Amino acid sequence: MKSSETQASAMAPVDNRAQRAERSPPSRGGDRVTAGIRAAINHVDLNRFRFWFQLVAFVLFVYGGYLAIDLGSRLPFFSCGYNQEGRAGVCYLLPLQHQLSRPWPMLFTAASLSILSGLGIFFLWFIVLNKGWCGFVCPLGTLQDWLTALRRRLGIRYANYTRGQFAQLTKVKYILLALTILIPLGIGGGLWSHDMSPPFCLICPARMILPAFTGDFSQFTIDFSSKTSIVMTTLGMMVTALFIAGGFIKKRFFCFLCPMSALHYLFSKLALFRLKKDGDKCTRCGDCYRVCDLEIKEIADEVNKPNIMTDDCTLCLKCVAACPEDGALKATFAGIPIFESTEAGFIRRMR
Amino acid sequence: MPRLGLCAALLMAVLSIDGYCQEAPARKPDGNEGGRPSDAQIAKWRARRPADEVAAKPTPGAATADAPNADSIRGGGRPGGRVMTAKHGSNVLWLSDSPPSRGNGKSRWGGMGGMGGMAMGGGARRGPPVKRLWLRAGIDPQKSGFARDDAKAETEILLVTPQGKPEGEPLSAAEHHKLSFEMPVQGYYRLYLTKRKLKDDTLAVSVAKAEVAYFSHGGDEEERNEAATAPRALDSAPIEIVREKKPDEKMFFRLTSGDEQVFIVLRKGVPVANARVRFVSHAGWVKEAVSDDQGRVSFQIVRDYFPAWNEFEKRFKAAYLVIAETDAVESGRFNDQPYRSVRYQATLSGSYYPSPSDYRSYAWGLGIGFAFLIFCGTAIYLYRRRRVKPFAEVRFDEKQ
Repeated sequence: MKSSETQASAMAPVDNRAQRAERSPPSRGGDRVTAGIRAAINHVDLNRFRFWFQLVAFVLFVYGGYLAIDLGSRLPFFSCGYNQEGRAGVCYLLPLQHQLSRPWPMLFTAASLSILSGLGIFFLWFIVLNKGWCGFVCPLGTLQDWLTALRRRLGIRYANYTRGQFAQLTKVKYILLALTILIPLGIGGGLWSHDMSPPFCLICPARMILPAFTGDFSQFTIDFSSKTSIVMTTLGMMVTALFIAGGFIKKRFFCFLCPMSALHYLFSKLALFRLKKDGDKCTRCGDCYRVCDLEIKEIADEVNKPNIMTDDCTLCLKCVAACPEDGALKATFAGIPIFESTEAGFIRRMR
Repeated sequence: MPRLGLCAALLMAVLSIDGYCQEAPARKPDGNEGGRPSDAQIAKWRARRPADEVAAKPTPGAATADAPNADSIRGGGRPGGRVMTAKHGSNVLWLSDSPPSRGNGKSRWGGMGGMGGMAMGGGARRGPPVKRLWLRAGIDPQKSGFARDDAKAETEILLVTPQGKPEGEPLSAAEHHKLSFEMPVQGYYRLYLTKRKLKDDTLAVSVAKAEVAYFSHGGDEEERNEAATAPRALDSAPIEIVREKKPDEKMFFRLTSGDEQVFIVLRKGVPVANARVRFVSHAGWVKEAVSDDQGRVSFQIVRDYFPAWNEFEKRFKAAYLVIAETDAVESGRFNDQPYRSVRYQATLSGSYYPSPSDYRSYAWGLGIGFAFLIFCGTAIYLYRRRRVKPFAEVRFDEKQ
């Protein structure tokens, strides 16, 4: 009885503040409209918004090709190039690996300017959403969220890494990125067979899974034309199995190992879309850490650095939605706050 | 005794090849009658053909006596045609993107690998890529030699480029059997080498055509779109063969064995019905058919690549050759000499690759995938089960 009274007295001021925030009228008409829009955004049901946004993005990038949509081949997420018919663009890792596997003498000619121009176009795409491409657009990321939803419905509990495992596994994506660049260079120099090209795509689960959504199951095969092909396609099938199994016990299992995520992080400080934290307003309640799919502890612990985004972050903004402190976490675009944590928004989302 | 058995088996195999060829129904392009020429038609063509070629053509019985090459033996017993000798059809001129010595199908890196027609094969390091073609004589895509210059024949070479005149421009070449041209923009480049020669009262007109597709991944998209819709036939060509593009054909298209491919025979842009069309595969298998009313004829690309497992190359570039012939009763004068009939011959060559179904296995892929999935699932289940601590009730006696 005593404890329930304490709970009630703790909740009362929160409710009052929420009501005040909703009722307090802005002084002028323009401000009122701006404040209304801002409140509407901050109070949004982020999970529902993300679900619909991801669904639309998935349909666009897996089936957009049927509507003659082509956004080029420098996209900063897994719009798989092996999805021949349905893709609305191609993941940048595919052309990058092809370009890097050119013969070495060709790499030092004007022809290789296309590598730089490709990187430039990738960068232009990337700076718009930063790692938000992973959290909101990437079809493989969306599939993992759907697997998580299925797991939840089936009542299978999820797993967490220990801090030691986290520290070790977070390096994997950088190793994969280095191999994604170095192996094509070795192929161009004649060190390895062309059957290994493009090395990351051959083991990427998107190669198998995304074309299957358009009825193309041709990638679920083992290529027996050479020993290298056998090894690479077998690895591909094993990684696909691991992706499905991992997706059932771990949120965003593959994002933790994704070389595209590592490539993003190299440029993320230059991007327009950012995640910021005001450490003075943070109470270190840990809500943000608990909702984080990637188990990023710094989001709760770090109170000194305003730019809180880490290399594993997918900018899903679930941490912002889960934060009950006004303005402690915010997503900004070119410095303008577009979605920030508010107490009222938090309470509304908790209802 | 074993040698006798081997000889008998070989003889049976060769006989069965030839027997199949005689009985195998040619594919009917649209389901209508007339896919395969009748015996009367064949006899008519033979009668019209120059005497030397008729003499060179082996009769069905004679064909069995020709020793097939090693590739043909490996493919023995498979349906699709017969093995041709180099002698047969040695006056057939065609354009190839490889000289006889290199026509072994080995995959070559540095150029663009594979279109249904021909692919560009590299070029100068600076400046636009250069395509080199060779004029060859004979109907064996591998062994046909260079064509000899014929002083009596009149030769005309025309290059149709994507950005040039639709009717093409003359290409000067010092040696007709070795031709090259630059490809500054993306698109289809077509080379027509026309030879006219009078023999008795018949004018022989042969058009060797090559269609080279040049596209690059990073190239101008507008150029690509223009190329996709640009006409691929020449209205002024005396005769030509056009490879019909498939409805879903992309720029970087590869013809593979097992595919169905339609060719259209045109004379001055008009379809030619009842033309005799032969398809010659890389190993020398020949299939004959007759064009329908729309000038169309369809062939299934025969699988004729059977290397040892450890020598298999999925990028094995095999060459095919298509030959179309038709006669016309036309009179006129050529070099002040009269003629009463014209014999037209058109050739087109291209390349094809092994079918992915030759070297890809769904059973193994899905088997490995499922096995690993079950392994991972079981491992996770056992790991979690091992970590579950059994419930142990601890009771405290408050009285103590």
